[in-house]
Amino acid sequence: MLENFSFRTITEYLPLFGYGFAATLWLSIVSFAGALAVGITLCAMNLQRSQALKVPAKIYIDVIRATPLLAQLYFLYFGLPRLGVVLPELFIGILALSLNSGAYVAEIIRAGILSISRGQVEAGIASGMTYFQRMRLVVLPQAFRVTIPPLLGQAIVLVKDSALLSLISVSELTRAGQLLASDRFMPAEGFITTAACYLALYYGLKTLAASSERWLRLRPTGNLK
Amino acid sequence: MIWQQLQSLIGSYPLALRGLAMTIALSLLSLILGTLIGFFLGVLRTKGNRLIIRVIGAWVDLIRGTPFLVQIFLIFFILPELGIELDAFTAGIIALTNLAACFICEIVAAGIRSVPTGQVEAALASGLSQWHRMRQVVLPQAMRVALPPLVGQYVLLIKDSSVVSAIGLTDLTRVGWLVVQRVPNGLLVFAIVGAGYFVVCYPLILLARRLEKNMNAAHGEVQL
Amino acid sequence: MIKFRGVNKWFGALHVLKDITLNVEPREVVVVCGPSGSGKSTLIRCINGLETIKNGDLVVDGQRLGDRATNMTELRTEVGFVFQSFNLYPHKTALENVILAPIHVRKIPKAEAEIAGREMLAKVGLADKFNSYPAELSGGQQQRVAIARCLCMRPKIMLFDEPTSALDPEMISEVLDVMVGVAEEGMTMMVVTHEMGFARKVARRVVFMDAGAIVETGPPEEFFSNPKTDRSRAFLSKILRH
Repeated sequence: MLENFSFRTITEYLPLFGYGFAATLWLSIVSFAGALAVGITLCAMNLQRSQALKVPAKIYIDVIRATPLLAQLYFLYFGLPRLGVVLPELFIGILALSLNSGAYVAEIIRAGILSISRGQVEAGIASGMTYFQRMRLVVLPQAFRVTIPPLLGQAIVLVKDSALLSLISVSELTRAGQLLASDRFMPAEGFITTAACYLALYYGLKTLAASSERWLRLRPTGNLK
Repeated sequence: MIWQQLQSLIGSYPLALRGLAMTIALSLLSLILGTLIGFFLGVLRTKGNRLIIRVIGAWVDLIRGTPFLVQIFLIFFILPELGIELDAFTAGIIALTNLAACFICEIVAAGIRSVPTGQVEAALASGLSQWHRMRQVVLPQAMRVALPPLVGQYVLLIKDSSVVSAIGLTDLTRVGWLVVQRVPNGLLVFAIVGAGYFVVCYPLILLARRLEKNMNAAHGEVQL
Repeated sequence: MIKFRGVNKWFGALHVLKDITLNVEPREVVVVCGPSGSGKSTLIRCINGLETIKNGDLVVDGQRLGDRATNMTELRTEVGFVFQSFNLYPHKTALENVILAPIHVRKIPKAEAEIAGREMLAKVGLADKFNSYPAELSGGQQQRVAIARCLCMRPKIMLFDEPTSALDPEMISEVLDVMVGVAEEGMTMMVVTHEMGFARKVARRVVFMDAGAIVETGPPEEFFSNPKTDRSRAFLSKILRH
């Protein structure tokens, strides 16, 4: 029955989708910045010798990875008011995305740091560098390059995950699709347009990831085996 | 107050069990179907003809590029418009199986590509048929590479099954949502829901880590 | 300059250094050889603290390792270390590799460090490679950059851990030539290597190790032509056969 597919209705709702697209884009950017902050903190804790820092970070990462984002989102959405913290849905959504993605970002950065060979660290030690000098001058600049592609991969996951915020009625892309579907009983028009918008974001990020990889390959760094 | 809430929570345990059973049924069924289809597509993706490779690639991209929530809505609301009547459970299974198949297809294809061409050439040289080359030489080696991400994918699948609560299926997450309307303690209710997922997912995460470690040890390069 | 007295070290249950006693004088060049797993790399890695010793005394440049008063970071600036696998920083050019530690550890102004760095790279025959990244250099060139990187710190002692064994045969001599040059300028050197030509040319002594212990020491001519123990004879017959 898709012969009734109405492009005209989509055009009518275009401003709403434009608004949703922009909302998804900027709330993803803010959440990703939050995820980086959370991830770097967790990773720094995880790499310490002190168990008092290491263990909480590990537990946090495991708990986040073993539970669904939707349950985490509801945990904050229904739980925060209970603690007397009343926040707009949008803030709760951004908080949930940052806390969730942060755990994955922490693992990506950790893998990047651990991928730097022992010999690099030893070269730093042998030339008399302190721990922080070795980190700053030798390890982190190399780890940074290794982590860019997987971090962009995580950004793609985050953009898609942000669709769940529509379930706590944040106005974003998926919500726009839902509105069109329920106002006009046109789910096909609503959700196909939504999907197309996400695909545009996906291909944008994918192109960015591919070109970053090419850029990193062109820079003659070559991992020494 | 807390005591009353606890009592009320304990009272809703049959509902919680039903939710857990639903989550497990959804995950398990789509896991099995998704693995079978994913393997088949994965082999086709590396060995099929060019058109098939293109079509699979485009489909996988489409699924990877859109949120799972949107996929569920599309399947649940649009298939009926095409004249295919389906209930929420079937829609959930279709969506999850499709998602799993797409990711597993990529994992299997990457595993197959990781097998050195020398292995295939050796099998060719000893006169094995294409089926036997795949079955005896390539797939066993590809599996070793594919297994850790495959287990990781199962964890994602179980977690993604929570999203089908959006079309009204009473799974674990939906039960939490229902209970929290009566017992207004979101922290407690969703901590319990989270614990339900944790006991299923965490052992799998540990398994994936272990497999990965074993694989790295077996294929370990010499670290200079 | 370097004094081992009764040094022992274990890796778990494995006794990797057994009661090592050895004296290296200033300006002396000592070659350490022995079969793989004999503890020769561990021996020189102890000198700049890449490995720690279990007991005994190890005094380097008048400072006792393991003493609280000994500042390892300072000591390491006086001891250069050349690795088997070069360990150049892949994200830095040859010149940046050479001047990184002088700037950040020795606190030399950048302009000054660059002048010294260029000079050192020219000295090891890489005047045209200042801006090349390690991945663009051959193994022999990389190892020469690594030597220049050490020299630029103006160390009192240089340690070499099998500097040519990761190299293709045709590149070995370009690295050895540089090392001979360093030795002839009067550097105190300990070199783990099987390059007998190098030992003959510049070493005052050869130390032969086996199973974690020093089995024999002597001038190279004497060691090569007239080894005193069965184990050193067996070892020499293996490496000289080809």
